[in-house]
Amino acid sequence: MSAMRVDTKVVMLGKESVGKTSLVERYVHHRFLVGPYQNTIGAAFVAKPIHVGEKVVTLGIWDTAGSERYEAMSRIYYRGARAAVVCYDLTDSSSFQRARFWVKELQNCEEHCKIYLCGTKNDLVQADKSVRQIDFHDTQDFAEEIGAQHFETSSKTGNNVDELFQKVAEDFNDSVFQLIPPGEAGVDLGQKKDSYFYSCCHNN
Amino acid sequence: MEGDVHTHSRASWDGPPPLPVERLRVERCDSPTPGLVEGTEPGAGQQAAMFVHSRSMEDLMAEEEESRGGPQPVAEGDAGSSETTSESSETSETSETSEKGLQAAKERSSLAEGRTKEEDIYSEGWRSHRKHVFVLSEAGKPIYSRYGTEEALSSTMGVMMALVSVVEADKNIIRSIHADGYNMVFLSKSPLVLVAVSRTCQSDKELIRELQYIYYQIVSLLTLTQLNHIFQRKQNYDLRRLLAGSEHLIDSLLGRLDRDPGLLLSAVTCLPLPSSIRDAVSAALQAAKAQSLVFSILLAGERLVTLVRKKDQFLHHMDLHLVFNLVCSSSSSFRDGEGWTPICLPKFNTAGFFHAHISYLEPASELCLILVSTDREDFFSLSDCKQRFLERLRKRNTYQALNEAVKTPSYSVDQVGIPELRHFLYKSKSSGLYTSPEIPERYRSEEEQERLMGLYQELHSRLHHSTRPLLSIYRCGETENLMAWLTSGFELYLCLTPLGTKVQAVSAVNKLLKWIRREEDRLFILSPLTY
Ligand SMILES: Nc1nc2c(ncn2[C@@H]2O[C@H](COP(=O)(O)OP(=O)(O)OP(=O)(O)O)[C@@H](O)[C@H]2O)c(=O)[nH]1
Ligand SMILES: [Mg+2]
Repeated sequence: MSAMRVDTKVVMLGKESVGKTSLVERYVHHRFLVGPYQNTIGAAFVAKPIHVGEKVVTLGIWDTAGSERYEAMSRIYYRGARAAVVCYDLTDSSSFQRARFWVKELQNCEEHCKIYLCGTKNDLVQADKSVRQIDFHDTQDFAEEIGAQHFETSSKTGNNVDELFQKVAEDFNDSVFQLIPPGEAGVDLGQKKDSYFYSCCHNN
Repeated sequence: MEGDVHTHSRASWDGPPPLPVERLRVERCDSPTPGLVEGTEPGAGQQAAMFVHSRSMEDLMAEEEESRGGPQPVAEGDAGSSETTSESSETSETSETSEKGLQAAKERSSLAEGRTKEEDIYSEGWRSHRKHVFVLSEAGKPIYSRYGTEEALSSTMGVMMALVSVVEADKNIIRSIHADGYNMVFLSKSPLVLVAVSRTCQSDKELIRELQYIYYQIVSLLTLTQLNHIFQRKQNYDLRRLLAGSEHLIDSLLGRLDRDPGLLLSAVTCLPLPSSIRDAVSAALQAAKAQSLVFSILLAGERLVTLVRKKDQFLHHMDLHLVFNLVCSSSSSFRDGEGWTPICLPKFNTAGFFHAHISYLEPASELCLILVSTDREDFFSLSDCKQRFLERLRKRNTYQALNEAVKTPSYSVDQVGIPELRHFLYKSKSSGLYTSPEIPERYRSEEEQERLMGLYQELHSRLHHSTRPLLSIYRCGETENLMAWLTSGFELYLCLTPLGTKVQAVSAVNKLLKWIRREEDRLFILSPLTY
């Protein structure tokens, strides 16, 4: 058994306690952990294979810590990422400021990285509309402006979580197809993967 | 009640152990005073030690600072004990009871531990905590408080800082204040000031040591370079911004300081394991190396299975405890995925970060592998090291044996076969490792466990007293008799039934040392490896 080969790198970004780890937990392990919240230390990596049509795409997901302490070295976590899930808490407007910060950072440093804006803790908003601090339509406009996808999810109920990651995988899959010159059917994805794998962890 | 002087011959143990004759053993037993000389004591490793065991420059300086101009120790011999200091400074001490210990236990039991941040700082409950710890910046800004929120305590911390600066204005350093049953101890480590307010019977020196741990925990999160940089730029920076989410690491370290003999002894304990298995695990770790790898550490819960290091690089036990603390108090982060986090090992280097790959061998396993690397880009090659390590463990069936050992309870003191003996701590100085049986039934409740630790702490602080160190202590109490013995090779603490005599205690020591020698290859890491 050797380490799972990873097709594409996905990074979770956002202010602390917005629910990045919970999102990954829900998606990868189909569970929601209640109990005292534990901050992520540094970052955690998990590989997750996902079906896209006939194919299997393996996402290498980096769940980063939101603490400001790691900001200076956040680049090692998002460098080479093809997708970034930028999370904010629907009930905390300051977390959206932080999301804007990450969007800017990605635009500046990772132009090939697709951005997925993700409003978390949707269940809280559904239970009590008054706790919503981030307007859906404003965010939608912002997403269009920056060419991002926009989701609202709940890790507690699982609402929209699979859809988010499915979209990430599909977009990756489509982009791989775009890169391959027509006529070269029977794509040697393995080749592609290896070179990508190499570049995402060893470049500069 | 009178003290008496031990000689080496009385308390030493005689003859070679009647067991498998290995080269190592023969050599050891041939030495004139086996076990008493550093490097020949039970548990001493064959090759160079795993840890830095000579103390760092910093430790030595800290020591010196303390003895210079430090406050005079509180009168000795309270609680009805007496002691004599002979010329050779080898002394023993006898006392009827340890009232302080009892009283402390009573106080403890009435208090529920745990992070109660919202606590009212004007309440009786807040005041009655046994040990408060505060961290503040030199500008007097609160950074951490063990109990109560920092905001609520900002004026208290302001007063503390005022005390520090008033004294410093005269080119003096404030060390401690003793009043009304409280000890208030200051540790000034620019740009931080740490304060402990304690009602325990710990000495100033012990409290300072604990504050140092907290200081290094903070440095480990940020590096000293970054810490200095921040405060040079902005004197009244609110450091809580950067520590947000890590307060629980400090909380848990403080809890550990109250509970874990390893922090007291400056040593770590090992998972008992047949040496053939341990050697196979070490070899598998050694084989799974990468360019940037400096230390590979395998833990079973809070016990060390093995540690492989780069040649000429040593890990300080304090750094290892900081790693333990990080892993054990954030375990959920590493259960299912692989963690990749910057970590500063301050005793190694306060200026920079290592990068640690942290993962459990299996999600439900207690076995956690920590690979410490110098290269922050090297995640995938370390991830690969882990896979290679696992493959090799599985192929040789070592994994199964290891898993069984993890599930087996450690060992009970009954296995030692000394009826008077209830519990002990034994540290081999040259290896930096200690061993200790499971806590016996009667000490298992939280209060009793803390009381036992309190007794060991007190013995430890007497042995290591900065102005009047002792080499051995014997003390009779109502609830237990205690014995402590310090040689150049080891440190030993015994908890015995209160009905026994001193002669029995001395013979218990001899029997125990023989037993440890016999079991040493299971209890210690005798052949540490390097890559
Ligand atoms: N009700 C509700 N609570 C959530 C949801 N997602 C996360 N939480 C809670 O929010 C807190 C923080 O969640 P985490 O997933 O640990 O946050 P994080 O973004 O990983 O935080 P850092 O690791 O510190 O950056 C926890 O107490 C979760 O239980 C959600 O969808 N609904
Ligand atoms: Mg997290």
